[in-house]
Amino acid sequence: MQLTEANIGETYIIQDIVTDDEELKSFLFSLGCYSGEPITVISHLKGGCVVSIKDGRYNIDKGIAGSILI
Amino acid sequence: MRIALAGNPNSGKTTMYNALTGRNERVGNWAGVTIGSIESPVKKEYANSSEELILVDLPGAYSMSPFTPEESITSKYVRDENPDVIINIVDATNLSRSLFFTTQLLELGIPVVVALNKSDLNEKQGTNINVKNLSEKLGCPVINTVSTSSDKKGLKDVIEAATKLNGAGQKAPYLQAEIDLNDKHAVEAEDRKRFAFVNDIVKATETRKVLTKEKNKFDKIDAILTNKVAGILIFALVMWGVFWVSQAWLGPLIADWLVAYIEQFQGWVAGLLESSPAIVSALLADGIVGGVGAVIGFLPLVMVMYFLIAMLEDCGYMARVSIVMDPIFKRVGLSGKSVIPFVIGTGCAIPGIMASRTIRDERERRATAMLTPFMPCGAKLPVIALFAGAFFADASWVGPLMYFVGIFLILLGALLVKQITGHKYRKSFFIMEMPEYKLPSLKRATFSMLNRAKAYIIKAATIILVCNAVVQIMQTFNWQFQVVEEGMEDTSILASIASPFAVLLIPLGFGVWQLAAGAITGFIAKENVVGTLAVVYGVTNFIDTDELALVGGAGDVAAIFGLTSVAALAYLMFNLYTPPCFAAIGAMNSEMQSKKWLWAGIGLQLGTGYTVAFLVYQIGTLITTGSLGNGFVPGLIAVLAFAAILTIIVKRSKAKVNSEYALHNKGVEQA
Repeated sequence: MQLTEANIGETYIIQDIVTDDEELKSFLFSLGCYSGEPITVISHLKGGCVVSIKDGRYNIDKGIAGSILI
Repeated sequence: MRIALAGNPNSGKTTMYNALTGRNERVGNWAGVTIGSIESPVKKEYANSSEELILVDLPGAYSMSPFTPEESITSKYVRDENPDVIINIVDATNLSRSLFFTTQLLELGIPVVVALNKSDLNEKQGTNINVKNLSEKLGCPVINTVSTSSDKKGLKDVIEAATKLNGAGQKAPYLQAEIDLNDKHAVEAEDRKRFAFVNDIVKATETRKVLTKEKNKFDKIDAILTNKVAGILIFALVMWGVFWVSQAWLGPLIADWLVAYIEQFQGWVAGLLESSPAIVSALLADGIVGGVGAVIGFLPLVMVMYFLIAMLEDCGYMARVSIVMDPIFKRVGLSGKSVIPFVIGTGCAIPGIMASRTIRDERERRATAMLTPFMPCGAKLPVIALFAGAFFADASWVGPLMYFVGIFLILLGALLVKQITGHKYRKSFFIMEMPEYKLPSLKRATFSMLNRAKAYIIKAATIILVCNAVVQIMQTFNWQFQVVEEGMEDTSILASIASPFAVLLIPLGFGVWQLAAGAITGFIAKENVVGTLAVVYGVTNFIDTDELALVGGAGDVAAIFGLTSVAALAYLMFNLYTPPCFAAIGAMNSEMQSKKWLWAGIGLQLGTGYTVAFLVYQIGTLITTGSLGNGFVPGLIAVLAFAAILTIIVKRSKAKVNSEYALHNKGVEQA
């Protein structure tokens, strides 16, 4: 399923990043957001969600959240 | 020797740079504040080397492969410019991410010193990093630092370690295998190995009590500040507070006191010049001291605003503002990333426009640079304050309204750009690191304020002084270089140059040469609007208009200007929303990198300023007097022509985009 459907506070393992934007994919990679890595949704907001990846917190919009499969 | 500072965004590079060099570069608690490289020698107290140490601050980057335009500056610099040593600033609270970039830097062969910055935050959270172990594993010195502390913990050690390593090489703890860098899968496989290597190091050196994924006490604050309703209301309230304190309360309070001194000084100068020719005394006392004084009088307002904005930038709120505004800006084809340039633009449009560099999408970046000047900047603040005071009895709604109209025009302009560029076929992404909240530093805010004050005074004493002197001379003489006699002011050089422009402004309610001259000099620097009006109307004290009425006896500023309140509001808005000063246009040019966009931007700003002023004056006059203002028909023709041009452009580009996509689809079918 997509990250947009994730339960708050539950840690998931990323299955895949589905996007045709290679630069975005490699940028997410440099943050530690790639398949096999854990990701936790801290909260869902109107335009996206707050996630915890490694030891960082990020706000990502629905477009990015939708491309992260868990 | 040259030392480069490199590291992830918001790890504190510029804060350390400022501490080490004594400079005062822009810092802020969000990712992507620094947008270009800057360099300066290290202060003597940190550099115990006979050789001069040059420190180079670079924009933050997460890896050597750049994502946004400013990140590429960093990878280019460390690759091509061969710094002698790299100080890699690592955010100690996010070791697991930061070391990815560190291991890439260690491969360059340039000696690296790792500064574990923000180590005080780790102590607070009970996170422990074994520095000795980490240093052995990375093969480079690792030093705990706190750049924000008063004792600048570890900074001296970092510079000492860097100096020692000058000329040495660097052994990489992790070397990427020889792969074809164009092969995406091979690159990803290598990067995975690198992260695995980093994870092992982190496991061996770091112990954590608090995990980042756990809820913390700030999550509640975040939930409110990024709530789709409350968050926007709070942002509006915060901005209103900033403008109210700086323009209606504390700012004018200090300004009142300052203006008394300026008037005393002007009186003293006039006294000294009593025996000299009237022209000289008019030029010096009225033109230079009066005009510059009128501008300086507003300095406290600008200073208070800079102080407050610096506090906002420091506490971590800006990132939350861009998050809460993101859905709104997405609708008009921008993203939350554009919010930061707009907020910085309330201080000065130039750094605001430059901040658009962190936006990855070229179209969004150009649109942001084009629209930032609609936010009234610090230089426009005196103009706002002057008109609010003279025509609206310092009503507290005038200032904030100007900013909210600015935001409205930005949204409208963005929508227009979206229509013209056919944005609906493109996707925009928004990702923002959420910095930890911190108490804003009063010291930094004070520095930022004083820095601004210095720049403001220098500008007043140079550009504005010269402009005022020129304006004074031009209005004193006619084309035969004879002194213009009283009652014949319309024959002055200034009047004859400004009059043709004034004709164009009749439909806006302020078609007199004095006001036209103010608007024109405003393109050189917006403070000039105030300076020029002070000179052409012979008024110095714009702050305390009650006192002026008593002293001058000629009535208030409003009477001197001969404007209705509606026309005054139109004039104010015209000056705020027309093209910015030339310096800001220059910044637009360098960020847009396209003459077409630049001219489109200037055209849009001119059209917007004219249309807004026209609507305010004509509709306002209709409401207040029951009939339309002067020159309604020619004005309407101008505004309709502007609207027609925009409609044609939008239609054309839509047709173009449609046909492009139609062709594209046909091509796909055939293939």
